[in-house]
Amino acid sequence: MSDKQIEIKNVTFSYGDGEEKRNVLENFSLDIERGSFTVILGHNGSGKSTVAKLMNGLYKPSGESGKVLVDGIDTRGSEHEIEIRRKVGMVFQNPDNQLVASVVEEDVAFGPENLGLKREEIRARVDEALKAVGMFEFRKSTPHHLSGGQKQRVAIAGVIVMRPECLILDEPTAMLDPKGRAEVMDIITRFNRENGMTVVLITHFMEEAEPADRVLLLNDGEIISDGKPKEIFSDIETLKKAGLDVPQTTELLFELKQNGMDIDTDAISVEETAARITAALHLEEK
Amino acid sequence: MSSILEVKNLCFSYDPNNKDGKYAVHDVSFSVEKGDIIGIIGHTGSGKSTLVQHLNGLLKPTSGEVLLNGKNIWDEPKKIKDVRFKVGLVFQYPEYQLFEETVFEDISFGPKNMGLSGEELTARVNEICEVVGIKKEYYEKSPFDLSGGEKRRVAIAGVMAMRPEVLILDEPIAGLDPKGRRDTVSMIKQYRKAYGATVIIISHNMEDMALLADKLLVMNKGSIEMFDTVYNVFSKYDRLKEIGLAVPAAAEVLRRINEKNSSIRTDIFTTKAAAEYLCAYAAGEKGA
Repeated sequence: MSDKQIEIKNVTFSYGDGEEKRNVLENFSLDIERGSFTVILGHNGSGKSTVAKLMNGLYKPSGESGKVLVDGIDTRGSEHEIEIRRKVGMVFQNPDNQLVASVVEEDVAFGPENLGLKREEIRARVDEALKAVGMFEFRKSTPHHLSGGQKQRVAIAGVIVMRPECLILDEPTAMLDPKGRAEVMDIITRFNRENGMTVVLITHFMEEAEPADRVLLLNDGEIISDGKPKEIFSDIETLKKAGLDVPQTTELLFELKQNGMDIDTDAISVEETAARITAALHLEEK
Repeated sequence: MSSILEVKNLCFSYDPNNKDGKYAVHDVSFSVEKGDIIGIIGHTGSGKSTLVQHLNGLLKPTSGEVLLNGKNIWDEPKKIKDVRFKVGLVFQYPEYQLFEETVFEDISFGPKNMGLSGEELTARVNEICEVVGIKKEYYEKSPFDLSGGEKRRVAIAGVMAMRPEVLILDEPIAGLDPKGRRDTVSMIKQYRKAYGATVIIISHNMEDMALLADKLLVMNKGSIEMFDTVYNVFSKYDRLKEIGLAVPAAAEVLRRINEKNSSIRTDIFTTKAAAEYLCAYAAGEKGA
């Protein structure tokens, strides 16, 4: 068995026809390892969302050449569409567009009902999914009355209830307040660490790359950098080229270094950043 | 000093009969001085968007009033359209509302509605584009050929072209990449500088709020939790956490260092200021 969850091989993808035709991706290749946590960063229009939609077969490669394999299955064949969607679940930016039912648990049950599972099986899965995102106590609530972070957690429950092997999230925290963002990031990280779920997270918040094993920088449809979070954020030149920044925490360390402080700049989390500064200042406990 | 905008005991319920007694906005009062930049922060569903839609008369208060330059905006309901020209509101994701064939036509839409035409209209569009840095070669482009950040700025320029005295923006930087964020923030600053306008911004980005705003209005469950200087608001760390908010990352880092060594200040909220302070601290330690 291959250890690749998703393989994108020499794919070209274009929007429009004739003169209007524009290639978003050209001869693009990318492998996602099973059980990994990958973050994709890039400016608006860099092709991030296109890559995400190729990964679960929502988009198919343009033309004849190139292919996308999910667990070895070609997304181009329509006979495997349901299997692929079940293996790879997708969460989008706006939770309001993803919730359909008027009661939380009905919304989460929507997918399994379409699979034709037995009632007891559906019940068990829905409860399990709601517990996993910490929304079990809200199972009888109306999604409309929940906060943004809670709605997004219900949307995630509606995806993981299908027991996907891989979760793809396209800017899931863009519309959330700080608490909602932290809740969603915590859940995503837990699914990866504890359940071994493959995670691909697309985001504009640089600090959200911190828990990832691997960060990809996308610029005009090309991967211009591929490495661990700390490697990516220590290469400011490449980030700037891609229209991106370092996280605020790392930026603080860079500012200190530029001002002549002898300090390591390879930290992203608040804790690590504080520890670097404490060390550089030779602060004693006071 | 006279306030440009004053909100008095505003209550709003989405149900006009208000059977369940629940309010989306409850007993909100505050006033805004001319030329200020006010940031509004609050958890999702705290009533921020509902509140600002009252400021230009898109929503009518269930009770209470909104005064613009000392005059209740609902005194003459037929003239509410004039209020919407004076108080410009940019919605969340305004680029979804671009619909004209060219950038020029899209930016002209608002001023055209105000009755401008011909040379006057062209002059108005030229002026706003110059102020906010939209180049003339963009005029004939289709808005749909622009990048996400460019589309957003064209949509915002369309509201600015009406030259509102009060410009309100609901999450103007949400979903933008860092460059788009910077360009949009600088566009807002340029507008304010050129016209001495008053600006009200809703955002979840605490870093940008620390850089931009003079004062912060904190909403919690439909009511005002705080309305104070950026300094005083971000100093209330525990309370902000309780109501689902945060302080900028730089302040969070300083707090962690302070836990180890209490001589480190925690009341600095921008990355640049924090760096300057820590370097000065290091120099001071060496000197001592």
